[in-house]
Amino acid sequence: MAATARIADGPALRPDDSAPTPKVSQKVTARGPWRTGLLLASPAIAVLALLFIAPLFMLVYNSFRTQAGDPTLQNYTRFLGDSFYRDVLWHTLWIGALTTLGCLVVGYPFAVYLRGRSPRARNYLSLVLLSPLLISMVTRAYGWLVLLGPKGPIADGFHAVGLDAPKMLYNDTAVVVGMVHVMLAYMVLPLMGSLDRIDPALTPAAKGLGASGWTCFWRITVPLSLPGMLAGSLIVFSLTVSSFVTPAILGGPTVKLMPYFVYTEATSNLNWPYAAAIGFVLIVVTTILTAVYARLLRGRGGKEVFA
Amino acid sequence: MNTATATTAPATNKAAGGAGGKPIAKGVGERAKRLLGAGFAALVGLFLLAPVLVTIASSLTTTSYVTFPPKGLTLHWYAELLNRPEFLDSFLLSIGVAAGAAVVSTALGLAAGLAIHRYPFPGKSVLDRVFSSAFAVPTIVLGIGLLQWYAQLGMASSPLTLLLAHLVLTVPYTVRLVLAGLAGLDRSAELAAAGLGAKAPQVFWHVTLPAVRGPLIAGAFFALITSFDDLTIALFVVTTDMQTLPVRIFNYLQYNYDPTVTAVGTVMVLFAAVAVVIIERVVGVAHLFGADPEQ
Repeated sequence: MAATARIADGPALRPDDSAPTPKVSQKVTARGPWRTGLLLASPAIAVLALLFIAPLFMLVYNSFRTQAGDPTLQNYTRFLGDSFYRDVLWHTLWIGALTTLGCLVVGYPFAVYLRGRSPRARNYLSLVLLSPLLISMVTRAYGWLVLLGPKGPIADGFHAVGLDAPKMLYNDTAVVVGMVHVMLAYMVLPLMGSLDRIDPALTPAAKGLGASGWTCFWRITVPLSLPGMLAGSLIVFSLTVSSFVTPAILGGPTVKLMPYFVYTEATSNLNWPYAAAIGFVLIVVTTILTAVYARLLRGRGGKEVFA
Repeated sequence: MNTATATTAPATNKAAGGAGGKPIAKGVGERAKRLLGAGFAALVGLFLLAPVLVTIASSLTTTSYVTFPPKGLTLHWYAELLNRPEFLDSFLLSIGVAAGAAVVSTALGLAAGLAIHRYPFPGKSVLDRVFSSAFAVPTIVLGIGLLQWYAQLGMASSPLTLLLAHLVLTVPYTVRLVLAGLAGLDRSAELAAAGLGAKAPQVFWHVTLPAVRGPLIAGAFFALITSFDDLTIALFVVTTDMQTLPVRIFNYLQYNYDPTVTAVGTVMVLFAAVAVVIIERVVGVAHLFGADPEQ
């Protein structure tokens, strides 16, 4: 596709030599030769095979080895046999669930509100929504550190009305607040897509047949936005349980989650096989949970979201 | 910003929907609902912007420690940045890698999206599956996997290995976005163009490409910020003398937290804001809402 080079009117898009750009087939029919398809897909396939499949395969292989390279199951028996590590796993999933719930509770009304706005207002609000993604996660987390700290504006607010400020730092609250802040856009974007695809004539039709506003909301809007909820929840949950930076900064020494142990085992203790095993446990559990959740929420007629 | 854009309902119900005049009481209810919605949106907006505002404000403080609200106003910490070339080096590295990742993943996403959308080829469903599952793999796990894989291959850390690592994060998104754009393209438009004598490149350029332009730019943008902001993967791939900006800040903060960091953070925010304005001009930020992975 020599044409990819010509999308140069877009920002930061310049011709690029590292991506092979095969010629588009002369046929514009659905039954183009399969070679063309393979040729077009080959760079992406190469990236996936070499940088995604291979490292993961390597990881799984290593997790069944000792540090000397002999086959063993000890990494897994060590993890699953230790109640400390099992608690870490539960805690991680718990934080993921709380964050997902928080994003739904805050994000759903926000998405519904956005739906009724003019395009211009939507643009402004979507900028605000995306703003957490535009600032470095480190800076973001430290911003929360200042906000939630014992001398921060929120604590000041409590003091102003004569109350003792609750402890808001270095605990689950801090981590969930920080995570919901980061993840909200990932929840709201798919939700908005879903809401936009609802036929606008449905609600007036239901109202004409005597349904109240609430009935319309619960019987039309919510069910039809389930695909968006599902997509959003899956992204938020998966990203949250694998987040390392925000929990590390806001959770302090008390909240230690799975990714933290993957990191320290790999970098401080240089125990790669054990780090690999912890990571693999995280993948397997996340995959099982998201699959179950998708099955529950998808019901019939839902779309294939994330397999 | 929120309240300014939130339009309050007109008090008079002048048959907006052509449904005839509604009773006044209902109009008042509508209005209360509007205000409630606007208030809620304003709160969410405040929640979203708070850390950014704190960062910007505290970079202006005259104190040598970070505090909010700032005490006094000074640009001293920005001047201080000029004495720290390592931040600039890191910034340039991050931008270079992010721009590269954006370009490459957009190109790969367009090619793979077209392939998956219209050509039957062996392994197509497997490819689609793998793209879908790439989202679900924890970044931290990818990071340590790449660390071990690069070590196995004997590949030393370089901006290139970092860019390649970031592709895993970004390409699945660009492919999804392109597929969503192509799904909305009417094939008959292409066939009609071909039937009217347009050559394949012309059809591609004038019919196919405009359909995916929004998704492509949105994808490039996502790739840009994903790569620029990535710390999790970078932590495993970088070395002491090659640090991206997030890694640099993260390491710096292990030992000290002074307003220099918030000054860097503010510069990054401004940079991102410029990128957003450009996108707004080219396609409109609304196009980012093409970022619906389940279309």
